[in-house]
Amino acid sequence: MRATLAILMVIVGFALQAVSYFFLAAPWGIPSSPVYSNPRVPFAPTLFILGVMLVFLAAVVYELLPDRQAQ
Amino acid sequence: MAARVEQLPYGIGRFSIRLYLLLAALLVIVGWGIFAYSRQFVEGLVVTGLRDIGTMGGATWGLYISFDVYFVGVSFAGITMAALIRLFHLEHLRPVSRMAEALTVVALILAAFSVLPDLGQPLRGIVNLFRYARPQSPFFGTFTLVISGYLFASLVYLYLDGRRDAALLAQQPGPLRGFYRLWAAGYRDTPAERARHERVSFWLAIAIVPLLVTAHSTLGFVFGIQAGRPGWFSTLQAPGFVVMAGVSGIGLLLVIAAVMRAVLAEREQLHEGIFRWLGTLLLLLILTYLYFMVVELLTTTYAGHHHEVRISLSLLTGEFAWLFWGAVAALVLAVIVLLLPFLPPGLRARVPATSPRWALVFGVAALVPASLVALQGLNLLTLFSTGAQRLLAWLAVALALLCFLLLLPYLSRNVVAAGATAGILVNVAAIGKRLLIVVPSQTHGTLLPYAEGSYTPTWVEVSIVVGLFALGALLYILFFKVFPVMEVHAAEEGAQ
Repeated sequence: MRATLAILMVIVGFALQAVSYFFLAAPWGIPSSPVYSNPRVPFAPTLFILGVMLVFLAAVVYELLPDRQAQ
Repeated sequence: MAARVEQLPYGIGRFSIRLYLLLAALLVIVGWGIFAYSRQFVEGLVVTGLRDIGTMGGATWGLYISFDVYFVGVSFAGITMAALIRLFHLEHLRPVSRMAEALTVVALILAAFSVLPDLGQPLRGIVNLFRYARPQSPFFGTFTLVISGYLFASLVYLYLDGRRDAALLAQQPGPLRGFYRLWAAGYRDTPAERARHERVSFWLAIAIVPLLVTAHSTLGFVFGIQAGRPGWFSTLQAPGFVVMAGVSGIGLLLVIAAVMRAVLAEREQLHEGIFRWLGTLLLLLILTYLYFMVVELLTTTYAGHHHEVRISLSLLTGEFAWLFWGAVAALVLAVIVLLLPFLPPGLRARVPATSPRWALVFGVAALVPASLVALQGLNLLTLFSTGAQRLLAWLAVALALLCFLLLLPYLSRNVVAAGATAGILVNVAAIGKRLLIVVPSQTHGTLLPYAEGSYTPTWVEVSIVVGLFALGALLYILFFKVFPVMEVHAAEEGAQ
């Protein structure tokens, strides 16, 4: 349970980074206006940062989640 | 629990009169820094020495960005050491592990605070960064990987690494018990919990090493991939940033470890082997950096574009020569100091034993003319002519050299003092090198036919930076007044 949750958090964290970077922020195609340099979805950089944090938060969850035996 | 703590170790919760005075002095300096920033916030960047490049003949990045780069560099030491200790089982270095981790966290907080005053409208800058940051920009990587990822990873590492000690300290009644119990979060030090922590630390270390190399390289790319800025556009910027980060970080860690050893009288735990090991690592990093510097200068002066040559000449013989050669001298002197432990024992025995007292007298004497020259350089004094200023500068150099020569015999016998001296020297060099990376390319590196510019920081900038240093010292001291500076469980188990 503990390992599954931690691995899931790592996967979701990396996925969030990839999606926010490549699909919500990075410019695709030929630049046509100055607005083009902005991320296509506002606050996409925030999602990327949350993805980075989620990956490292997995370590805290893995260590802090109580054992089933201890419960 | 494997061990039980009888009283709070390493001076936790104990405040002497001298410490109160030190904290009060630091608070006053922080307050002065806040006052200086309030002036800048109300009146704008016009109270600083920052001006537009070219049209106003100035630099838009000055002291703030130089110290942002410096603080990020310093942060390198902590997490690198923690990761190296974990990955390569460097158990003899464990006593410096926590002070290094805390150094990373404090340095990254200061780095974030250094950027804010550079923004005319800091709140707008913060919101826009999260909203509009461009993923192709190295700034994006700097703020996502360095400020968020790197700081967050360091906090996670520090927190998890401290749980076992927090659980031990929570057994002791006292006002901090609730804090320790909260930090321990139910940790009971069972074999299963220890094994789990080992696993997590190992994987965190594995994740952190590439993160820190990427983070420091990204900061190098902020400068290194600007094709239109001679002096910055270079392949060596990113690796140079990583190596210089290691130099300044390990150097500061040596200074902190020496201070902790003296203040806490922990000669056994903070043994000479730690200083020897860190000193050797520092020596290798300095030599690597010097090699990078020579290669860079040879390339630009031998076959560089005339704009590149102009920047290089301004460093070697021009306006910035004093800073460039000062930084180089500090690095070379640090190399000499760090080579002392490698002297053959027979030769070392022949060096006359001298007291460092006279060296300190000359050192303090060197500070007087150096301070006068610095104050006049910052336009805070107008006492001397240019000739007299130059004379005072050379007097300061002569006194500093005399101080160094008198100190050498003492340093050859004291590896701790040698490590701390080298640490101070490389940090002086690191600050100088950061200023040299940031400023000359803006004032002397325009591709358009503007006249050469200049940049002199004002009292506002200097006060804010000094206030940041005081804030860092304050945070660091206060943290180690509530949490042990070294691992308690290791010491307790050793005692048993």
